[in-house]
Amino acid sequence: MSALCRYLLFGLVTWTLFVGVPGAGWAEYFRQRESDLDQGLFRIDETRYLGVKLDTDVALIDQTGKALKLGDFVDKPLILVFSYYQCDGSCSAVNGEVIALLEKVIKTMRAGEDYRVLTLSFDKADTQETMAKFIAKLAMPPELKAGWTFARLADPERIKEVTEKVGFRFFWATQDKIFYHPNVAMVLTADGRVSRYMYLLVNSPLDMQVALMEARQGEIKPHEVINYAISLCYSYNYKEGRYTYNIPLFVGLGSFLFGIGMLLVSVFYYKIRRKPR
Amino acid sequence: MKKAFGLPIGLGALLLAQAAQAAEVAGKVVDPAKEWDHLWHELLIDIGIMGGIFAVLAAYWIYKYQAKSPDDIGTAPRSLSRAQMWAWAMVPAFIFMADDFFLAAKGWTVWNIYRTVPPNALEVKVTASMWNWEFEYADGTKSTYYVDAKEGDGLVVPAGRPVVLRMTSLDVIHSFGLVKHRLKEDVMPGRITYIWFLPKEPEKTFVTCVEYCGTNHANMYAPVVAVPPAEFEQWLKKKANKA
Amino acid sequence: MSTASSGFSLKEWVFTTDHKRIGILYLIGSIAAFTLAGLMALLIRIEQSSLGPTIVNPNTGGDQYNVWLYFHGAAMILGFLIPGLTGFAANYFLPLMIGAKDVAFPRINALSVWLFFGGIVLALLTFIVSDPPDVMWTGYPPYSIRTGGNTALYVFTVHLLGFASILGAVNFLVTVIYMRAPGMGWNQMNLFVWSTVTAFIIQLVFVPVLAAAVTMLLFDKYLGTHFFDPSAGGDVLLYQNLFWFYSHPAVYVILLPALGILFEIISTCTRNMVFNYKAAVYGGMWGIVLISGEVWVHHLYISGMPDWIRIGQMVSTLLISVPVGLLTISLFGTLYRGAIHFTVAMHYALGCLFLFLVGGLTGIPLAMTVLDVHLSETSFVHAHFHFIMGIFAAFTVFAAVYHWFPKMTGRLPGAAMGKLGFWLNIIGVHVTFYPLFWIGVKGMPRRYYDYQMFPEFEPFHKIATLGAFIVAAGMAVTILNWIISAISGEKSPENPWKSGSLEWTHCPSPPGPGNFPKDVTVTADWHPYTYGKN
Repeated sequence: MSALCRYLLFGLVTWTLFVGVPGAGWAEYFRQRESDLDQGLFRIDETRYLGVKLDTDVALIDQTGKALKLGDFVDKPLILVFSYYQCDGSCSAVNGEVIALLEKVIKTMRAGEDYRVLTLSFDKADTQETMAKFIAKLAMPPELKAGWTFARLADPERIKEVTEKVGFRFFWATQDKIFYHPNVAMVLTADGRVSRYMYLLVNSPLDMQVALMEARQGEIKPHEVINYAISLCYSYNYKEGRYTYNIPLFVGLGSFLFGIGMLLVSVFYYKIRRKPR
Repeated sequence: MKKAFGLPIGLGALLLAQAAQAAEVAGKVVDPAKEWDHLWHELLIDIGIMGGIFAVLAAYWIYKYQAKSPDDIGTAPRSLSRAQMWAWAMVPAFIFMADDFFLAAKGWTVWNIYRTVPPNALEVKVTASMWNWEFEYADGTKSTYYVDAKEGDGLVVPAGRPVVLRMTSLDVIHSFGLVKHRLKEDVMPGRITYIWFLPKEPEKTFVTCVEYCGTNHANMYAPVVAVPPAEFEQWLKKKANKA
Repeated sequence: MSTASSGFSLKEWVFTTDHKRIGILYLIGSIAAFTLAGLMALLIRIEQSSLGPTIVNPNTGGDQYNVWLYFHGAAMILGFLIPGLTGFAANYFLPLMIGAKDVAFPRINALSVWLFFGGIVLALLTFIVSDPPDVMWTGYPPYSIRTGGNTALYVFTVHLLGFASILGAVNFLVTVIYMRAPGMGWNQMNLFVWSTVTAFIIQLVFVPVLAAAVTMLLFDKYLGTHFFDPSAGGDVLLYQNLFWFYSHPAVYVILLPALGILFEIISTCTRNMVFNYKAAVYGGMWGIVLISGEVWVHHLYISGMPDWIRIGQMVSTLLISVPVGLLTISLFGTLYRGAIHFTVAMHYALGCLFLFLVGGLTGIPLAMTVLDVHLSETSFVHAHFHFIMGIFAAFTVFAAVYHWFPKMTGRLPGAAMGKLGFWLNIIGVHVTFYPLFWIGVKGMPRRYYDYQMFPEFEPFHKIATLGAFIVAAGMAVTILNWIISAISGEKSPENPWKSGSLEWTHCPSPPGPGNFPKDVTVTADWHPYTYGKN
């Protein structure tokens, strides 16, 4: 009797720690983080633009001079990066960062097959030459090349329309002779809707992987099962603009295991008790 | 163990059903509400037959096997033979499973219609908050309905064109319930959900909130009005000018 | 151990460790919860009987009504159905059925019943505090976090009742595994014992998940964490997943013992062997245990879950019909070539067979994702689970009280009043819930105190309200009948229903301390469902 009481008490205390400590820790964690958040001038009000569908009929010209439409990129998850090709600083950095993210983690997802990347110019002054120069500067690994398109709008007058639709804002600083713009990559679902904004430098390769998995909307291929399982462990944190652990999932899982443990204790109770200490 | 055999077969059947359905829908826009009604009637027949068999049998037995005297005892055999035991477990199990997979395949077919948004659909953004529905059109025009004052237009759509709703919530979970079109989907903060419907002709119906959301949950509704396309364009223009 | 029952002593009852007295305490507590929750049901029905605010304060209308709904749901499920079946029935009858002198841990058992009463008191605080909980029995965030209502009260009620039932589960599993009468094999156990074992396995494994979920709710509301707050990394849907991961299996925690009671009564009152015992145990009950954890998403069909899981769990949910179907065949099959004796308990049992058919079959459209899209959150769902869970399981508790009334009191229950109560109840239930099925299909949403956009439903609500009052009358007759019979009923013979089960054949009515005058052993050819052989 008292032995069982002890088991139960021990179990409940463990369980309380399991639920309580992460809870309190989580609260503390946020109290510290909230203050030093980078709210940023160009921070996009994400919830406003989530689910927005791109205009599929916007005409593009890619790096080879081929005419394309934005709609050609719908049917697979898409990473969309707005850049301007005469940019010296942040644009190549942004594209470089995306390359680095994709290179690092997503070995099981193949560019061009499981997702695509599109870099689109928002500068009217860009031409095929500036584009070519820009690409030459980037150190693009061959396995990404297949799924990566660089393009500019066929009708530069539509730039504002396209960017504003997804909440991407920029302006020209005449003094510095550069565009100010958010360093963001957008992840779009297979039906061409905005799914996540990935703030570069904040996001880790894992964030990118989880975002791409989310963009698949549950339609997973066999080789992605592990990635998908990992993606379930995270949920998107709007405050921080990145993915954080989905703690309740672990707490729930732990509680479930605790329940199974109690079941085993009840079934083998006498056997446990009879063992000499 | 029984399941292990049934599952692959059933899933195979489901896949076939889905492929057949996709081919069928390709050409025209199917009204999901009509498919729903059709499936519902099929289901009523299905469960009616099943329930009827059990109910009639039970009623007959209750009538037939009444005890003749206070000491009367039942005459069923004390135990079944091994073969009988397995037969009475496996045969019904397979019958039930067959019916399950049949219903699942039917259900999946209609479900795919519900989840496949026609490409020419009019997109409206729905924002729910305690306790109000707001509708935003592609050009940024907003429309809403004030329940207390009974003012506002609610959701106005052109008749004959599919409408897809991109829905989110500002506070708690609500649910967009459109009885007329047999449609319902939760509206959550931080997430986007979709549904679509086909208002075939001009009609006046309403959306109600069907996920419990507090004090005025019962009064969170708004009209959903389908008008002829020309009238819709006019209405949108007028609304945009006002704003 | 309890002392001899000569005269009434409050102290003995409060500090009792006797499983029979604990069972009676559970019965009293759960019937009290049932009565109060039933009164709430009447208020709810009166409110819906006409358009607009009927009896609620028009200024705060929804709030009052929502508190009634909360109390009705929480008290019925957590305070009546689960404790009534796994507390009262299991405590009183299970040790008797397996020939045990008491449960394995009598003092833990006593702790469990007082935790249960603590939970009932917490639930009753709803009527006293100025900010009563209004989160329904489901408590979905973010509403339960934002509301001004007292979510903590809800959480602590769940904690206490959950803890009480965990203790009960451990206790009864050990009791059944290690304390059966010598010679009693697994296939010689009463089906009620099997059903309790399987129900407690489910309870033990899943309750911690619910407790964890509501605990996180508490942290979110009062400690500023963001477990379920989507703006700060929380997952808005995860609570619903965790909640139903427990709470769908919880309906089997109710269903299984309810079916177990039906098996006892139907077999005894037809004096017939249970049809295909092994299929009912290993196919039916264990089948339910196996599948119960893979079907919760059917509560989230309209919650925006990924399509693949909505479809996957449609299949697994439909597959529940296989074990449930096997149990149904065993139940109905037991009638075949029986000798049906129409006791009051048998009336309830036969009524339950019909409720089970209606309730079970109306569950099939709700298992189908696409049909559920229209039917969920309507009064169709509401009528469905009242048939299968509310009324069906409540009727089995009443049937159990009637059937084992001579065992508990030594007196026979009044048959005439009992049957009157039964007919009022079953007629009332149908008058109440058929209109709700109908308007549910037509789109009447749940949890509405007012339905100004659906004026055409008013007559149906009026009929349903009438039905609720018929049930109330039936319940009043029933409870009155129990009290009268317990005080002045006819003295009962030792085995009035001529059962073959140990609690009737081997121990006096009511059983004294230690239950059995002589230690019980059973032989290999003994079975609880053989009649007239000895």
